[in-house]
Amino acid sequence: MTTSVTTETLANGRTYTHRTAAHCETGVTSALFFDKGLNLSEPMIFGIGSGIFFGHLPFIKWTGLPITTFRSMPGLVFKKTAKRLNAKIYRKRFHSPQKGMDELRCVIRTGQIAAVTTNVYWLSFFPRRARFNFSGHNFIVLYENENGFRISDPTLLEYTTDCSAYDMERARFARGPMEARGLMYYPIYVNPNPDIRKACITGMLDTCNQMLKIPIPLFGVKGMRYVARKIIKWPEKLGYVEACRQLAHILRFQEEMGTGGAGFRYIFAAFLQEASELFGSKELNELSNEMTVIGDTWREFAVVSSRIIKQRKSKREETFDKAGGLMLICAGKEEQLFKDLRDVISTLKT
Amino acid sequence: MKINEVPQDDLPQYYEGIKKGNYAVDDNGKYVMVPSKGWDVDELVNRMACDEYHAALEETRKAVLAGQKSPLAYYMELRQLIPKFLGKTAGIATFRVKRHLRPGIFAKLNDSVLDKYAKALAITREELKTVPQNSYER
Repeated sequence: MTTSVTTETLANGRTYTHRTAAHCETGVTSALFFDKGLNLSEPMIFGIGSGIFFGHLPFIKWTGLPITTFRSMPGLVFKKTAKRLNAKIYRKRFHSPQKGMDELRCVIRTGQIAAVTTNVYWLSFFPRRARFNFSGHNFIVLYENENGFRISDPTLLEYTTDCSAYDMERARFARGPMEARGLMYYPIYVNPNPDIRKACITGMLDTCNQMLKIPIPLFGVKGMRYVARKIIKWPEKLGYVEACRQLAHILRFQEEMGTGGAGFRYIFAAFLQEASELFGSKELNELSNEMTVIGDTWREFAVVSSRIIKQRKSKREETFDKAGGLMLICAGKEEQLFKDLRDVISTLKT
Repeated sequence: MKINEVPQDDLPQYYEGIKKGNYAVDDNGKYVMVPSKGWDVDELVNRMACDEYHAALEETRKAVLAGQKSPLAYYMELRQLIPKFLGKTAGIATFRVKRHLRPGIFAKLNDSVLDKYAKALAITREELKTVPQNSYER
């Protein structure tokens, strides 16, 4: 898991080890728990916190287009993981930026590392082309130094970096859709030997319910079908160029934002694999392989869509029907997978 | 996805040398994290969004120079805001922000209101009164 390691000394002399991750929130949660003496990998956190999801939110606009998410709400993974592992956590939002910054300084001065949720636009260490107004990036603040703050961003960088106090305040308190309002969180106490099997089962059951049982056709497997049918109708309804624009927007959520590939489907497959080792269950391993196949189908959807977008001015070889069809296939396969997973869970023992 | 299928497209101008984590299966069927240099599908959709942003910004800049919009509209778009969120950042009601996007009304604003906008947009008061003559990146 650890591809590159950098160590930092915290305010109270403890050592912090930077580890890279594929997704910001799970990476941060994994690092926070590791700092408290509980070593869980990123996929494991992702599974226990029920990170995998699908949702289409036409009523929340981001750069003018509806949000299609492949994961649960930002912030929920940490909350759920902590609850299922019986960890005590501190988690707070602030009305006043001044108070939020003071509180952060107070906490890191004691040598406790804290995670903050930020808006990417205001972070100057980000690549310029990735800086869009999106409030949902998490990283860990280690200590204060002459440039502002020393931070560890598990998704983006292979090393720790500096972030100025101005950037930090603007990023934490930026206004916009899904604003973070200075959200800051860290575990206070973590049980070093929690019941991981029980936590895994709770996490997997919750995942199945999220994907199958939400009675609104915008979420879970139903949401996938809804979006897929919409994609097929787009070229007629919106015109070819606008349809391409919307399709590209979905792809950005699937691939661009630190998903570990195929909209988190590969991370979840990695989780199922780890869980199969934990429970010694062959069925879970088979499901993991099945999830990998689904991930590959999502990748194919991305490739087909990108071909549609590339040829938007010339002759058409790939069609929206094909892209939407691939998504329908994904929906069907995922529905079967989560139903199977639910059956497998009932045979597992804690 | 196998390790050798993890895309390693060379796109230095896109992600500035930063690698993304990708989960992939190794030869023994075990999942590992593999850093990816970049994928052209990623780059394509990001380029589309960037181009769209720059094109809209350029259009607004020309509209300001032509006297159809106030410079506030340009800087609002530069910071990727809409009147609702610019208003919240600056502490000014949304309907007032929308009014201030009209050049005639913007020209009559007093310094205290301009300062609020300048602070919210992270520019100086002087900068806020004009737009750059040439288009520029961020």
